[in-house]
Amino acid sequence: MSEIYDIGYRHYDGPRLGGGHATRALAVHSLRGIYGLGRTARSKIMPFSLATIMLLPAVVSVAVMAMLGERAMTYSGYAVIMQPIAAIFLASQAPTAVAPDLRHRVLPLYLSRPITVSAYVGAKVAAMTGALFLMLAAPLILMYVGELVIDLDGPPQTKEFLGALSMALVLALLLATFGLALASLTPRRGLGVASVIAVYLLSFASVPLVYTALDMSGYHSAASWAWLMNPFWLVDAVQVWLFDTPPNADGAYPGGPMPAVIVVALIGLALAVLAARYRKAASR
Amino acid sequence: MHILATEGLTKRFPTVTALDQLTVTVGTGVTGLVGANGAGKSTLIKILLGLLPASSGTARVLDLDVSTRGADIRRLVGYMPEHECLPPDVSATEFVVHMARMSGLPRTAARERAADVLRHVGLAEERYRPIGGYSTGMKQRVKLAQALVHDPKLIFLDEPTNGLDPRGRDEMLALIRRIGTEFGISVLVTSHLLGELERICDHVIVIDAGRLLRSSAITEFTQATRTVTVEVDEGTEPLAARLTELGQKVSPHGRLLLVEVSGPGTYDAIRDAAVDLDLCLIRLEQGRHRIEDVFREEAAHV
Repeated sequence: MSEIYDIGYRHYDGPRLGGGHATRALAVHSLRGIYGLGRTARSKIMPFSLATIMLLPAVVSVAVMAMLGERAMTYSGYAVIMQPIAAIFLASQAPTAVAPDLRHRVLPLYLSRPITVSAYVGAKVAAMTGALFLMLAAPLILMYVGELVIDLDGPPQTKEFLGALSMALVLALLLATFGLALASLTPRRGLGVASVIAVYLLSFASVPLVYTALDMSGYHSAASWAWLMNPFWLVDAVQVWLFDTPPNADGAYPGGPMPAVIVVALIGLALAVLAARYRKAASR
Repeated sequence: MHILATEGLTKRFPTVTALDQLTVTVGTGVTGLVGANGAGKSTLIKILLGLLPASSGTARVLDLDVSTRGADIRRLVGYMPEHECLPPDVSATEFVVHMARMSGLPRTAARERAADVLRHVGLAEERYRPIGGYSTGMKQRVKLAQALVHDPKLIFLDEPTNGLDPRGRDEMLALIRRIGTEFGISVLVTSHLLGELERICDHVIVIDAGRLLRSSAITEFTQATRTVTVEVDEGTEPLAARLTELGQKVSPHGRLLLVEVSGPGTYDAIRDAAVDLDLCLIRLEQGRHRIEDVFREEAAHV
């Protein structure tokens, strides 16, 4: 192979951009990786099929609007109704964003460059949030465009749409930080998938249990707090408080700013876990 | 000019002292860092990259203080770790382009540099295939390529010949030599094998248990000794006797004779003795120190 060695070495004297550029590039790279872009066809199957399923009710809703002139789905309730799909997406894709770098020890290569541990974690969180937001927001946008084109009776529900869109961002951030924190605890992808889905199922299944138990024992107002054990209903409770939408649960949520405080606290907790996890990984 | 310099550099871990009052300077060219496993080589590199704080002492890389200018240092140096560090499911091209962007190169520049560097390390068509299917030799080349892709001023290579077969080892060493000379990039290369470094380094630093044993130019390590090695087919003993008769200092060394050179007359004496005894002279070689001998001497003093 000596003949292909035999070309002169050229030095690079072009621009060297800073850590900010590298961090953005990492975020875009990770976002593409979550959707399997630039990867094998097999790694595109899961994210794209889930994103398609997520869109189906919106398509049906637009069709119903066109033919019957009625709304089939609300903007504010979309995420709660479709929550298993979003949760499966999170469980299957969050580990692909963090596990390979830990498992194959690529992290030292990043850290020997102008990227810090916090920039690395920030880029991963931004990528996962972006990926989830695309998935949660696309059907809302599709429905809104459909509503404008079909021109139903009465004004378009712009306020509810924008509210749902901003809540989609909050939900995406909450899910992304939690999903990544859980997935980063193990370098094994399979274990990461299992642990995220297990935590979601636990939060999903425990809500009716706790709710019924409290309600039957006569603690009716305390029972409403049970809804906040699941991230989707938790964010819905914030939406009810902020935008005065009808709750997407059987019964009312506890009012006031408490759900929002819990959301912020949970995001903070997940970020702290991520920071601790990566500080440890970096020192190895 | 000093590429890097440390002053009383010490790193203590809870159970072990990895570096102990290390004071050393490194110039341009290829510098070897030798020590047994656990001598503190990898710890030193991590400190020089600004990734690990020193317990005490100072270190400067490219005249930048590692404790305050770590980010600037990392922009200008390349690092090839000892361990596996490649994701299996992406191609070498994709991976090296990505690492170039992580070093701050714009997209098109990253692509160009990655193609250039992969060619230099000797990866041809296979660079489009996923890394998972590569041999150890090819993986080492990818690791080297990602360290070179941003055209660093200085490159740290941690045990680059680990796990390579003899041919792969030779090719890797030749490549490192070219990086240090043709490419004009200074190299700090670690190894626990002295023989390897002897072939490619301008300067060698020997550390043991975090302490400096010796730091000097390779020529000092391997300078000519004042002996000449003589090998004959048979009749080693009569030749030794004859040379002693002629007033030369001779010491047997297995099947070889080491003759101390007192002047040009020594060579004549060896020639004449061989002719007189009708011996078949196979080898007459100027004796040279090998750095391994030096290391053994130094280690014996400690």
